[in-house]
Amino acid sequence: MDKINVLVVEDTVSESDALIASLEANNFNVVGLATNFKDAISLYNSTNPDVLIVDIFLNGLPEGINVAEAISVNPDSAKPFVFLTSSSDRQIFERAKLTRPFSYLLKPFNELELFYAIEMALEKFYEQKDVFLSDDEDTVITDDYLFIKKGKALKKVLVKDIIYIEVEDKYCNIITEKEKFVINISLVKISKLLNPDQFFRTHRRFIVNVSKVEEIILSDNLILLSGGHKADLSDNYREIIKRVKTL
Amino acid sequence: MSAKFLFPLLFLVCFFFSGFSQHKPCTKKEFIESLCNSDKLHKAHLLLSNNSLEESFKLIENLKLDSEAKQDKNFESLILFLEGELHRRNNSFKKSVETYKLSLSKNTINNDLAFYAYIALGDIYISGIRDFDKVIPYYKKAELLLDKESCPEKQTLLYNALGNINLLSKNYDEAEKYYIKGLELYLNNNKTTQAAINYSNLGNLYFEQYKDAKAEEYFLKAINAFQKKDSTNINVRQQINYNLFAVNEAKGYYKTAIKYLETSNTLKDSIWNRDKVWEIADLSKKLAVEKKNQELQVLEAENKVKSAQRNGILVSALVLLALLGVSIYYYREKVKTNKIISTQNETLDTLNATKDKLFSIVSHDLRSSVNALKSSNRTLVNNLETKNIEKLDELLNTNSSIVNGAYNLLDNLLNWAMLQTKQTYFHIEEHRLYMLVEHVVFNYQGLFAEKEIKFENSVSKKDKILADQESLKIIIRNLIDNAIKFTENNDVISVYSKVEDENYIQLIIEDSGLGMSDNTRLELLKETSLLSKKENEDVIGTGLGIQLCKSMIRKNNGKFSIESQLGKGTKMIVSLPKAGDNG
Repeated sequence: MDKINVLVVEDTVSESDALIASLEANNFNVVGLATNFKDAISLYNSTNPDVLIVDIFLNGLPEGINVAEAISVNPDSAKPFVFLTSSSDRQIFERAKLTRPFSYLLKPFNELELFYAIEMALEKFYEQKDVFLSDDEDTVITDDYLFIKKGKALKKVLVKDIIYIEVEDKYCNIITEKEKFVINISLVKISKLLNPDQFFRTHRRFIVNVSKVEEIILSDNLILLSGGHKADLSDNYREIIKRVKTL
Repeated sequence: MSAKFLFPLLFLVCFFFSGFSQHKPCTKKEFIESLCNSDKLHKAHLLLSNNSLEESFKLIENLKLDSEAKQDKNFESLILFLEGELHRRNNSFKKSVETYKLSLSKNTINNDLAFYAYIALGDIYISGIRDFDKVIPYYKKAELLLDKESCPEKQTLLYNALGNINLLSKNYDEAEKYYIKGLELYLNNNKTTQAAINYSNLGNLYFEQYKDAKAEEYFLKAINAFQKKDSTNINVRQQINYNLFAVNEAKGYYKTAIKYLETSNTLKDSIWNRDKVWEIADLSKKLAVEKKNQELQVLEAENKVKSAQRNGILVSALVLLALLGVSIYYYREKVKTNKIISTQNETLDTLNATKDKLFSIVSHDLRSSVNALKSSNRTLVNNLETKNIEKLDELLNTNSSIVNGAYNLLDNLLNWAMLQTKQTYFHIEEHRLYMLVEHVVFNYQGLFAEKEIKFENSVSKKDKILADQESLKIIIRNLIDNAIKFTENNDVISVYSKVEDENYIQLIIEDSGLGMSDNTRLELLKETSLLSKKENEDVIGTGLGIQLCKSMIRKNNGKFSIESQLGKGTKMIVSLPKAGDNG
């Protein structure tokens, strides 16, 4: 699992120091610190952050809102962000609110509030409500990554690295080239959110990444996967065969 | 419906000039100016820009003869371009199209000139000949001439033009694509006014497609994008407000619609007023000149009949009249400003009353705590001099608890002031009660350990309530502060939730501390009392915290009650509206 990349846009040194220290202490990867609009845009383009933390007031002007507007204007390259502010000025907030999705953090804040705001930003942005806060689930699924809550912090896994998923009750075992781990998510939800052209049900308990299939042995009802992994194939889920043949 | 929305499309023509910072000539005007390499050309371009069509026509005809003599191809295409512009301004559209095409056919034509020629051709077909089908091919040709190095002015001019024509031809997806391209450029260059116009264009686009909610969102974005709201963008703001009215009317939100129509009309009135002021100034100038002329004539005539004295009287009468007029005008202005000042005074008075009340309450407590700090510091210094190290630790702890108390007081004071002046952002949303309690309690871990208080948060993780996040945190913070204040070492504070009925969830903060008498309890629950009597003199408190809690709970549509027994402990109960069905 990889660390989450965070881009911080904050012009007060003492505050950005504390914020970065607290993020890094909890295994977030701070990819950059911008102190004005221009740096924020160029760092955003060059660093590929997963989430941004943006102070609304930069050098006395509400330029943070312009940053948010600029990064969310194109839906293909937009990223979730958290607004940071020490003012609860109503008009500023009303303007910021138009730049949706909206997650904010009022200074002074503690670590719990910081992580909560980041989690809320991810949930709202990817439109998967009530994931990190409920006891039943801990994973937000996007086209490129799984965002997983581990303890206090968040981690991510590249979707295309997944070889297969094995379901056990309420848990899913995720198997990648490098590691194996458990996430809490229901089978219904995970099969709805994963790309149906890439992931196929092959069995009551198995979901397989079609690009990792090496061979299908029909006589044994077995699928051989890269890295020496195996998955069962049952009669009810045979759609994958058509797909593998056409490859 | 579409007729209402035609006018915003005209914005781009007037706005694209106001600039991006670039060194190269970029706008059409700058660019042509840079090509004009002779005085005559400069003059022709200047006359054209000022709409002196006849004079520039003569000059251009003259230059044409010159250029044919000179055999300079560059010169020729530029002259043809200017001639095309001339015909266009003269409304001879067909002739203009011919001339532009002729200019484009010269193979020496410069890329930038060709770009603006294609744009002009497209524009003529939109607004002159009104044949929309022919427009897009010209714009597309212009687009081919763009590359990544092209100035943002040119790109945005073209994208907006393409957006407009696609909107007119009802190719909504295309139009949206180009508007977003333009918008992206403006936002990346921090051009908020132009971005506002693009937001508004997008709004029109969605409205045309009956996506009313999206249209409204973009109109709101447009109106919020202005960094300054002044007379330079008043026309735009009036039209956006009118569009917001139309959207809300279409959605059936008539109250909101009327609000926007009123704003639009007010802005219209101020535009009218502004124009009227100019007109009146003009008229009065003319009038003054006429009057002066008349006077002169009368004077001459009367001089002939030797009645100079009469003239003197007439002139002075006129002056007096003018003075009277001026003084009446100023008197009226003064009455107007007086009215404004008196209403401002009233609001200031009420604000001051609130502030005075607070000031008197808080200053006493603030002074006593700072005073305590002062004397404690003096003891500290004394102990330091006598090297009484054991005492230092205890004194520092006292100091820090005094400072904590004073900080909480100041924090509440600020929150109270913000609540009274309605400056805070207040937005009721769904929240998990457990998380909010955890967030607040995180800051108290140290204090609990120090006072050896056993704390327990057993709020159900499933309980969701409707409240404003920050104000609810302030409420919880104050109630926990209170609980800590009135407990002693080894006491227990527990926070838990209870379903009251199908609409409310109770958040209960219970302590096993000192408790209070029934009189104090009723006093605390009273609407007006700000200052409550202190039972324990060593405990700093004003009742401001509880009062703030009550106001904020009321604002969150909640209820508040207290159960307490002297010596056994207190329960503070906050009932909050339940969220959703699964709460």
